[in-house]
Amino acid sequence: MGRHDVLPAAQHDDMARFDVIAHLNARVAQVLAPKVKAAYDSRARQGFRLRHGRDPLDRHDVAEAMQREPAYRIFSLVRRNNMEIRQHAGRQLVAREAASLCDRARALNEGAATLRLNPALETPRYVSAVDTHLMRGGYAAERMADDVTNPANYDAGMYATTGGAAGPWNDAAGRALVDWLKHEHPQFKPRRIVDLGCGLGHNTLPLRAAFPEAEIIAIDVAAPMLRYGHARARSLGVSDITFMQADATSAPVEENSCDLVFTTMVLHETSRQALPRFFSEAHRLLRAGGLTVHLEQPPYRGLDPFEQFMRDWDGRFNNEPFWSALHESDLPALLVKAGFGVHNVFESRCSALPPSQSVIKNEDFGRAPSWYVVGAWQAAKGIAAIG
Amino acid sequence: MDHSLPQIADPIQHAPASETGRRPEAPQFTDDPMLDRLYGVTLALVTELAVTRSRLDALERVLARRELVDRGEVDAFVPDNFEAVTRGRLQSEYLERVMRALE
Repeated sequence: MGRHDVLPAAQHDDMARFDVIAHLNARVAQVLAPKVKAAYDSRARQGFRLRHGRDPLDRHDVAEAMQREPAYRIFSLVRRNNMEIRQHAGRQLVAREAASLCDRARALNEGAATLRLNPALETPRYVSAVDTHLMRGGYAAERMADDVTNPANYDAGMYATTGGAAGPWNDAAGRALVDWLKHEHPQFKPRRIVDLGCGLGHNTLPLRAAFPEAEIIAIDVAAPMLRYGHARARSLGVSDITFMQADATSAPVEENSCDLVFTTMVLHETSRQALPRFFSEAHRLLRAGGLTVHLEQPPYRGLDPFEQFMRDWDGRFNNEPFWSALHESDLPALLVKAGFGVHNVFESRCSALPPSQSVIKNEDFGRAPSWYVVGAWQAAKGIAAIG
Repeated sequence: MDHSLPQIADPIQHAPASETGRRPEAPQFTDDPMLDRLYGVTLALVTELAVTRSRLDALERVLARRELVDRGEVDAFVPDNFEAVTRGRLQSEYLERVMRALE
């Protein structure tokens, strides 16, 4: 795991605990998940056919077929408990040195103009009301002055959840985005980049390395994430990214001023109301020739019903209330609705090579370092609306 | 037991509130809620036993490298007062972890 000055000082037992959780997650993916598929193929699908006179057509049908299956119940029970154990282990780890973590972040952030917090900002309900992926208090929890404990927990424990697949800096999505840009659009040289929903900035930093000349603005609603992310970046020698507390759907950044506006694994943690506004905000921010790109898990449409069902697990059991709705949304259509020309909208795939120390070798239904890419190019405004 | 997600306009309404002190809503995977809790304890114990085995293994390797201690010394170990307090704190942190699903 990559070290920096605001990483909690995990000792042997903390590391061993995260390590066994990562290995248990790998066993869930490699041993229990295939048994779920076997139960579906050998028994549950046939039972559904007998009851309904047809094959299961979508995730809801598969859910009906599978809900009594012991293999799925065991898979879910172990996976859910692993998530709870991981969150609890992280809470104990950061609680032990909470004051020191906040002090270290405060010292790194002291007087920096690149950390722009806005205490008056109202946290949107999709953040304030949800303990996303069982993280108690959610992204915006403020338990003490200058609190950074939840992001510290998030950062320290991420490799346990992903089995190390996100790499030592938990930045696989950012690296995948950079690789995709360099491979698909090698001439594209953004001068101003905005990360909407940057969290602790782990996926923002690869953009800094890839485009050293660009101005980068990382926006999030949650002050703890920004404090931690800003301190973490400085500790890693990056002091020229602006971390700004703002609502991504109404960012205090001038219109027609940006070349790249992106999100990584953010849209599924928003809401039905906010999602279209992320896209219209991207449209507002981009100048002609600019690009908006969003990395997410693949949409359910076109996926085998069983895979839809397995990928929907986080929506059911991991406190991701918008997960299912997002993956059923037609994101290209929403981009067109936000003002992008229909011929300028695209879908693609990108991935980051898992590091050799990753313990998860097969696809883990939403946890592998591989993403669906959806985005759009900004034409000259006015022309875009014609499509 | 119905695992299907409610088909509602606002899914957040059905998500547990944060900062209320309430633990995240616990789904039920078995037919008996007590059994779910027992699994919770069991899986926490699996994790904690692995941590302990790893620590013992690390300790034995460190000691072996330095040729410092034989097994009899560990068997005869009696903590002093400060050590006893520290070990007590470690025990209560441990119990918090393994008893979490029952608490």
